[in-house]
Amino acid sequence: MKRHYGIRALLLISSLLGSQAVFASNHREAPITALDQKADITDLYAFVSYGPSCAGGTPRVTLILCVDPFLEPANGPTWFPFDPDILYEIKIDNDRDALADITFKFRFTTEYQLPGVYTALAGIGDNGAFDPHTGQLVVPPQIRDFNNPGLNLRQTYTATVVRGGQERQLTNPDGSPFFAVPANAGPRTIDYAAVFDAGTYHLDDGISVFAGTVDDPFWIDLGAAFDTANFRTLASGVPGVLTAAEDDPSVLTTQNLTSDTVSGFAVNAIAIEVPIDQLTRTGRVEDPSSPDAVIGVWGTTSRPRVTVRRSPHPSHSSGDFRQVQRIGNPLINELLIGIGSKDRFSMDQPANDEQFAGFFLDPPIVHIVEALYGGALAVPPPPRTDLLPLVVYAPPICPGCQPSDSGPIADLLRLNTGIPATPIEMASRLGFIGGDVAGYPNGRRLYDDVVDITLRVGVGGVLHDPFPGFDPEVNGRLGDGVNRNDADYRTQFPYLADCPSGRNRRHIDPGEPGGGPIN
Amino acid sequence: MRFEDAIVNRAFVLALLFPSALVARPADAETEKLSPAAQKIQWAQRAIEKNPNIFQRYNELAIALARRARETSDVSYYEQADAALQKSFLLMPGNIEGQKVQVWVLLGKHEFAKALKLASALNQRVPDDVSIYGFLVDANVEIGNYSEAEKAAQWMLDIRPGNVPGLTRAAYLRELFGDLEGAADLMRSAYQQVQATEVEDRAWMLTQLAHLRWTAGALDDAEGLLRQALELFPNYHYALGNLAKIYSAKGQEAKAIALLRQRYESAPHPENAYALAECLEKARRLVEAKRMYLEFEQKARRELKQADNANRELVFYYTDHSHQPAAALRIARLELAGRRDVYTLDAHAWALYANGRYADAQKQIEGALSVRIRDARLLYHAGAIALKLGNRSQARRYWKESLELNPRSEYSALVRNQLGKISPVVGLPPGAN
Repeated sequence: MKRHYGIRALLLISSLLGSQAVFASNHREAPITALDQKADITDLYAFVSYGPSCAGGTPRVTLILCVDPFLEPANGPTWFPFDPDILYEIKIDNDRDALADITFKFRFTTEYQLPGVYTALAGIGDNGAFDPHTGQLVVPPQIRDFNNPGLNLRQTYTATVVRGGQERQLTNPDGSPFFAVPANAGPRTIDYAAVFDAGTYHLDDGISVFAGTVDDPFWIDLGAAFDTANFRTLASGVPGVLTAAEDDPSVLTTQNLTSDTVSGFAVNAIAIEVPIDQLTRTGRVEDPSSPDAVIGVWGTTSRPRVTVRRSPHPSHSSGDFRQVQRIGNPLINELLIGIGSKDRFSMDQPANDEQFAGFFLDPPIVHIVEALYGGALAVPPPPRTDLLPLVVYAPPICPGCQPSDSGPIADLLRLNTGIPATPIEMASRLGFIGGDVAGYPNGRRLYDDVVDITLRVGVGGVLHDPFPGFDPEVNGRLGDGVNRNDADYRTQFPYLADCPSGRNRRHIDPGEPGGGPIN
Repeated sequence: MRFEDAIVNRAFVLALLFPSALVARPADAETEKLSPAAQKIQWAQRAIEKNPNIFQRYNELAIALARRARETSDVSYYEQADAALQKSFLLMPGNIEGQKVQVWVLLGKHEFAKALKLASALNQRVPDDVSIYGFLVDANVEIGNYSEAEKAAQWMLDIRPGNVPGLTRAAYLRELFGDLEGAADLMRSAYQQVQATEVEDRAWMLTQLAHLRWTAGALDDAEGLLRQALELFPNYHYALGNLAKIYSAKGQEAKAIALLRQRYESAPHPENAYALAECLEKARRLVEAKRMYLEFEQKARRELKQADNANRELVFYYTDHSHQPAAALRIARLELAGRRDVYTLDAHAWALYANGRYADAQKQIEGALSVRIRDARLLYHAGAIALKLGNRSQARRYWKESLELNPRSEYSALVRNQLGKISPVVGLPPGAN
């Protein structure tokens, strides 16, 4: 068939050539996820559970996957249900090969209790409101549990554990379904805290689960970060550099020096707490010096896909799922991966990350920030072997790991389950580099300041061998000035804070009280 | 075909036959004068005249020229595209968009191995670029690396669900894998996304849909789609060739010859001469046929060692018309050195058959059919080879499948004749159009 190349498929319509992509926020890092907000993963957390509820018994690990960024709590009438078409997964590697040994799968189903009513959430008072003429109930009582008809759009979900190819569905002891906690429309409509408690499920085998719309636990001066690292100038006089006094390491700090762009916004979160002996390869709680104490964690979202070959059911074009996004360490895809590779990174498996090794070992962003500082900030030279513990099993997260234990280069959030949680009053928001070995990059807690940590490790090179120009008061004090979340976290599973009230939420902008300076 | 699918297909075909429903015409009379590619050539040339130092303009010109090559089947446009790219690379060495067009041009010139090499390198640099996966699909398909082609096509569908180039490529792979209904399903999805002003793209898709319906024996559906394509893009060479096949199958040889002659005059390539010669022969216009076969042979032999050639047609000419089996096998092997796709395997198998090497022929044809392609010609060949090896039941199975697939194919008369010799009665299978 001569000259029929065109006949085959060549339809390069001009609009499809050179797809435009935007270097977006950490909440919309890859072009494909910028187009698919429901599948967009914002953050992944993995930490040894802490707090009063953890006294005695087998220690547990809490895993939290946040999706669907920048949810404005006032944005009714449907708010933010999970997408029933998406498969949400949290995966665990427990034998250092970057392949999933345990997978927690979550799928959601939507139902309508009052399909004729215009809003997903409605409620008032103890008894509701009645038609003054007919006496009929028009507005249901305030939503306090999942059976209230005012929870018009109601979601149930299934949680399944896959281990060794065997699936096991997690269930409530009484067999009742898991309900997702809705957004907080406001105090008239919903007793959000009561519904939150009702939606936190403790199962017979020591596992707890939660899913719902909550306060976005992440914090950052996003506007400064993505205005080409245009950080605000605080007491040091150097943009993006804190003074020792500003650099309060306590997780109990009340000090926010700049605006938390995520303040007042919600996110959808899936959380699961699992006894450590159900996560490790050995089925035991291992000593921190054992390589088997360390697990690799990543989260994914996937959608059904159209397959080249149709599924066995010939009337359907779709087969299994295509991964839309994944997350291991925070900010990897956002800050390290080149714009022409972000989708492939999002959709590929961690075990194939060797192809991205160049980005890990010589991150382009380091040179960009160096240029922006015009010589005021010395940066470490490549190759950045100091960053390798983020992408292989190695000390200090895995002190017992020999080079032969490193496994493939893979973006996993690595957690040494043998290291006990640090009591909150002694914890550092700077995690490992703040001397708190239970913090990021040993797993990630809600209150770990991953922005400051990443700036100091990635750009500042604080884990690098000394290099010319390194200044601990500059390289070691890099920070965006946002040191804590705008809402208080819970002190037990699922640790997440209440979704801001839609009626009364507040986004703290630069120049406002609590928002720091504009410049 | 299942009944409900037939209903869906029929409904879609009917919708296409009513232009007001789905086909919008360009509103601007000025734009109707030039094809989409010709317009873009003009725009790019004017932009270059204004400022000859912007490399992107040369890339745009090269893209438009490559598209024009498809519109017209005139390969000289690829040379012009190459010249434009040279200027682009002078201004901005190694620019990615230019290299992408370079792959396109290599594919157009049938330099498949080179295209694959360059596309693979580009894919390493920009793994998110959907169009580069498309080139990987195309090159691998032509070479016969179907699993690699499928992987790349799946990436296209995964990275940008619903993207038109991904759908059309996946449709072609489904066809190769024997899923004609699934192929049409994807092609229809693609068609519905293309802008009305992209008349050649739309005509191309209609032609592909017609080809799928024709392959499945639905002649009237195919004819309707092809008429639609020709209304959108008059004298479209792909549509002319396909419509001629329909006419020929319906016994309307004069109309078929007229269309094939029209195509050959506008695109005087040897394979177009071959199709015309075969049609003339079928119409018993033997003197004209002989003259056209000679013309074909001379032209095809001149291109024998070029990447862009008519070697497969030449193989069939030597096996089926001029009875030169040794020459057929020599040329089949020559072609096989560069590609092992199903059609080249089929040509090789048929050349081996003509040389009496039936066991070797069977290996080749089974290699082609292992992809699961459903094609009346390949099935006819497979049956003939099986019979020579003494396997009558296998021959009967292949031939019945060929007739069930398309009872009106170019091979249907041959198949019926052969089947008649080994089976007492063969009726027209149900589902014939």
